[in-house]
Amino acid sequence: MMLTFKFRDQIYRVSMEEGDQTEIEIESKRIPLEFRKIDGNFYSIIVEGKSIGAGILRKGRNIQVFIDGDLFEFEAISERERAKAKGGASGTQEIKAPMPSRVVKILKREDEEVEEGEGVIVIEAMKMESELKSPMEGKIREVRVKEGDTVESGVVLVVISPNEASQ
Amino acid sequence: MFDKILIANRGEIAIRIIRACRELGIKTVAVYSDADRTSLHVAMADEAYNIGPPPPTESYLSIEKIISVAKRSGADAIHPGYGFLSENHLFAEACEREGIVFIGPSSEAIRLMGDKITARRIAQEARVPLVPGSDGAVSDVEAEVIAKKIGYPVMIKASAGGGGKGMRLVRREEDFKSSLRMARSEARSAFGDDSVYIEKFIERPRHVEIQIIGDAYGNILHLFERECSIQRRHQKVIEEAPSPAISPRTRKRMGEVAVRVAKAVSYRGAGTVEFILDQNENFYFLEMNTRIQVEHPVTEMITGFDIVKWMIRIAAGEKLTLTQEDISIRGHAIECRVYAEDPERNFLPSPGKLEYVRTPGGPGIRDDSSIYSGCEITPFYDPMLSKLIAWADTREEAIKKMRNALREYIVLGVKTNIGFLRRVMENEEFIKGEFDTGFIDRHPELLSPSVDTQNLEPALVAAAVAMKDSTKKEEGKTEQGPVSYWKLFGRKIAVMRNQLI
Repeated sequence: MMLTFKFRDQIYRVSMEEGDQTEIEIESKRIPLEFRKIDGNFYSIIVEGKSIGAGILRKGRNIQVFIDGDLFEFEAISERERAKAKGGASGTQEIKAPMPSRVVKILKREDEEVEEGEGVIVIEAMKMESELKSPMEGKIREVRVKEGDTVESGVVLVVISPNEASQ
Repeated sequence: MFDKILIANRGEIAIRIIRACRELGIKTVAVYSDADRTSLHVAMADEAYNIGPPPPTESYLSIEKIISVAKRSGADAIHPGYGFLSENHLFAEACEREGIVFIGPSSEAIRLMGDKITARRIAQEARVPLVPGSDGAVSDVEAEVIAKKIGYPVMIKASAGGGGKGMRLVRREEDFKSSLRMARSEARSAFGDDSVYIEKFIERPRHVEIQIIGDAYGNILHLFERECSIQRRHQKVIEEAPSPAISPRTRKRMGEVAVRVAKAVSYRGAGTVEFILDQNENFYFLEMNTRIQVEHPVTEMITGFDIVKWMIRIAAGEKLTLTQEDISIRGHAIECRVYAEDPERNFLPSPGKLEYVRTPGGPGIRDDSSIYSGCEITPFYDPMLSKLIAWADTREEAIKKMRNALREYIVLGVKTNIGFLRRVMENEEFIKGEFDTGFIDRHPELLSPSVDTQNLEPALVAAAVAMKDSTKKEEGKTEQGPVSYWKLFGRKIAVMRNQLI
């Protein structure tokens, strides 16, 4: 079984074989592996005498692994998607609400130019205001909310397109 | 002593108070909003009452509802915890009027210290050093004039503020107007009051505070200092006691000054006098918090003094049995606040369901929390998950203990700052004790794990295990569960009731 994981825009491939014993291949090294689920989402994994205790949570294609205080978030991707991902982005980018929140202030209007890292919109969640910044230099193509709106997590607030000059 | 105490709070502090009450043989009453029916403080208390919808203004901040539950349940005292109504003098006043003991200072002391400008005046009269700034709330025009006079950088602060809300640092004159607007807007939505004042900003300051405790007979002690300089968004994340930055002489002076502030308002109960400390050990009064602080455990660990229990005893009219000479520092304690938040996105809160929680342990480790596997972190309240506290003989050992405890912690389902906290414990400057409130801003590398981390390979192995184990589960998932004993139990109760009727 060939597994492909994405972690911070990097692709990692892991092959897992099953015979008498489960084996794992990472970067062309084959290593025998044994694991037990010991409590809820807590797993004990032994790889050639090296012991790993990790919290593991899978939600569809998203996998969270918690080791030594660090959370690793992997995305499991299929071969087909891997090929498609090489296509490249269309150019526009969206600013989405990172969590359920309220729109406090819109700092940029449609057709205004923005720098990368410049504040575009101020939202409030859990009594804290935070400024969402533009991921790139360009022009505000669309503002989809107004001040005072309550939005759900993941809702697109602002669409930014690249400057004509840079296209 | 009281027979029954209502706890007008939620989360870990409600649990901390329930535990103190149990040790004192006092029954406890919990209150909860609709969002908190499955919160741990509800299950742990002796009695529990719903007080309305999730927004705090309709539940935990409703004086009327809480007083009514106190009367209905027959509680003779209310502990407000921190946040919510803890520093609301109208609430303390309502308790006084209804003949219910408010576990804390008088409503008068809360009112005086709650207004930052009055507090400054009181401190000034008590000959306590102050940071230069405006004498009270200012208009937009005055604000700019004063800022220019005392010189940039300046701080804009909400008069009714606390916890970093409505606060802005301005380094350049051209940024002043927009920062003032932001501060006012934040203050208005957080406190319903947009008045602000201006203060000189101290370069590379430390935040050091003194815990004090006073009884109803005029005895006031200090329990030494807490170092709270590691902050994000002007909110504390790591605290420790004692402070690695002050000499015994400064420690003694600071303690005396704090007691003087408390005496000026005839302070009763637990309180904290906050100071800002500059690079030359000069300290200036910031404000007084008239409640139990989130970070009180580090003081408890180094002094052996149970602050929450003493708050209750003092409210019940007991006298402090210790004198200042009886209290000394033993060892070193550090607290890390574990939050559901994303350090990589400017510490944005990350609410959601905690699918799995594993808590650290071992000698010297204390975990004050209210979380469990399966609990829900709702967007209505502060996203703090736990306060992890490590105690050891020396600061160096305490840091090591904390580092290991953070490695043991597992929280799945939301983003947390656990990795960030661990990286701080590994940072050279932190280990040397050489830091100030700008520490986090100066170390953006602490916010995310480096990609070449040694744990990436084990994590990949674990990810592969996740894929394999969940496939296996789906194959063999048809068996029927055992008979529910709860159902049988329920039937039995129903039958017995029928017989009684």
